[in-house]
Amino acid sequence: MTQLNSAFTLFLSLLVEAIPFLLLGVLFSGLLQFFVDERRLLAILPKNPLLGAFTGSCIGFLFPVCECGNVPVARRLLMQGAPVSVAIGFLLAAPTINPIVFWATWTAFRDQPEIVFLRVGFSLAIATIIGFIFSVQTDLRPLLQPGVASAITMRSQSADSTPSLLQSGTYFLGQSAKPLITDPSELQAAMMATVSKPMSFRLRLLLENTVQEMRELGAVLILGSAIAALVQVFVPRDLILSLGQSPITSILAMILLAGVVSICSTVDSFFALSFASTFTSGSLVAFLVFGPMIDLKGVGLMLSVFKPRAIFYLFALAAQLTFILTLFINLYIS
Amino acid sequence: MARTSIRSFLPWLDVVAIAAWGVLLLYYWLSEKLFLLIHPNYIGLTVAAGIFLLFVSGLKGLFLLRSSRSRQPSAPIQHMTLFPPGLGSLLLLTVAIAGLLITPRAFASQTALDRGVTDAITLTRVKPQSFRASTRTEDKTLIDWIRTLQVYPEPDAYTGQKAKVQGFVVYPPNLPEQYLLLTRFVITCCAADAYPVSLPVKLTTGDRKSYSPDGWLEVEGQMLTETLDNKRQLTLQAKSLKSIPEPKNPYNY
Repeated sequence: MTQLNSAFTLFLSLLVEAIPFLLLGVLFSGLLQFFVDERRLLAILPKNPLLGAFTGSCIGFLFPVCECGNVPVARRLLMQGAPVSVAIGFLLAAPTINPIVFWATWTAFRDQPEIVFLRVGFSLAIATIIGFIFSVQTDLRPLLQPGVASAITMRSQSADSTPSLLQSGTYFLGQSAKPLITDPSELQAAMMATVSKPMSFRLRLLLENTVQEMRELGAVLILGSAIAALVQVFVPRDLILSLGQSPITSILAMILLAGVVSICSTVDSFFALSFASTFTSGSLVAFLVFGPMIDLKGVGLMLSVFKPRAIFYLFALAAQLTFILTLFINLYIS
Repeated sequence: MARTSIRSFLPWLDVVAIAAWGVLLLYYWLSEKLFLLIHPNYIGLTVAAGIFLLFVSGLKGLFLLRSSRSRQPSAPIQHMTLFPPGLGSLLLLTVAIAGLLITPRAFASQTALDRGVTDAITLTRVKPQSFRASTRTEDKTLIDWIRTLQVYPEPDAYTGQKAKVQGFVVYPPNLPEQYLLLTRFVITCCAADAYPVSLPVKLTTGDRKSYSPDGWLEVEGQMLTETLDNKRQLTLQAKSLKSIPEPKNPYNY
């Protein structure tokens, strides 16, 4: 009974902590949509896959959102027709490469500044590499959820024939009794051309968007937090921690812990700090780099964009790159 | 017909679910239960989120009311991409109601044992920044003692100093009946990263059975060095133990 209550308290604390950040993410995502002409932003992004992936990784600095908030933005970037490399780079790096996270990590590891810089450097490198690898797949649609893929299809069609339904507000509100749009992703796609619409209309759509995303991403967050809380309470931490003292197993244990605990990237450096005395520096960096990219909670959110196959690729690449880079730190530097 | 009425009901489910979360966050704030869940630094953010959720829900409700009066389809029909219609909102609503009904409880001895309260080194994550040498040692909290130890770990340096600390009781499985651990949880963000710090207390009379686990105590006494579990440790020899109610804010930071 005590265990159950602990699990429930933990579950609620994760939610209460994460919901404001989720809300911030949804709002940023919506505001970006309604008040920034993304087509113009996208037009100035470099087309070169490597540069694009790097730029995408750095865009996070403009959007201080953690991993609850980056998925909606990445989804929207994709639907707006951003190059694959940019969107993937953003998805993986944004939770780490932003001012709030940098500041939090600095506060926690003030006396080990190398951890702060290694975190930022490795996140940038890994996100850029994975973005570059994904850009080989020029048509990402087979890897995306049908809703997102169809938004891209609609986009490319509308680009071909300019007077499209998409660019008309009347399409959206519907003159006929039968509503035309039946999917939130399509709704988002339809809202892409709203920057030129009147303010009241835009605000109204911003509201609809916020409600829908809160509902959808909020429900996923609940499932992820429930799993994270149950695992934390019912699997003894000792079991996870006893896996790691050596250079190799400590990294593997930390990658596992990062994936399980699903703690928000704005605060995970404090969590990692508690292991600073018992774990290798490389494994701490692994926790800080890998956790924001992929964890149980985040996988739930990513399922709103990607098919499971793509998430597996992202997971495998991120885990391997994190492992190799941090093992290098453990063996040769610290 | 039944389908139509369910569809017209779904947007209202969104309104109620979002409002319920707004109410939950504000209720936790007003009943001071947020202290059990998150670090005080984040309370402002949570309260703002609560207010904003209520605002969003109210605005959405207003639009729905207006559009139902004018009998216009207000918004496109909403389908989930991840969940069947209504399930997402239902999940949000259920958890919010559960949160209102079930009281979150501060972590206690079981969690402390699970989280390694008996480990060799108890360290705090935020390193001490400054010391006031003139501080009366009785004014130090349990966390202050642990932080002091972290900077200068030699227990003999503190022998004979007076102490008065508060915490809850944990029975250490590896120590004799004469000892108990006076424990506090420290949180840096939310309950998910709460970690225990503790000080062994040596009872001069009787054994720990008279103090049940999880009970809150204020212990006054003197510091001494003991060899416990093959380690030299700073131990508080109790002169008086007083039961106290669980503090409103049981964590330390």
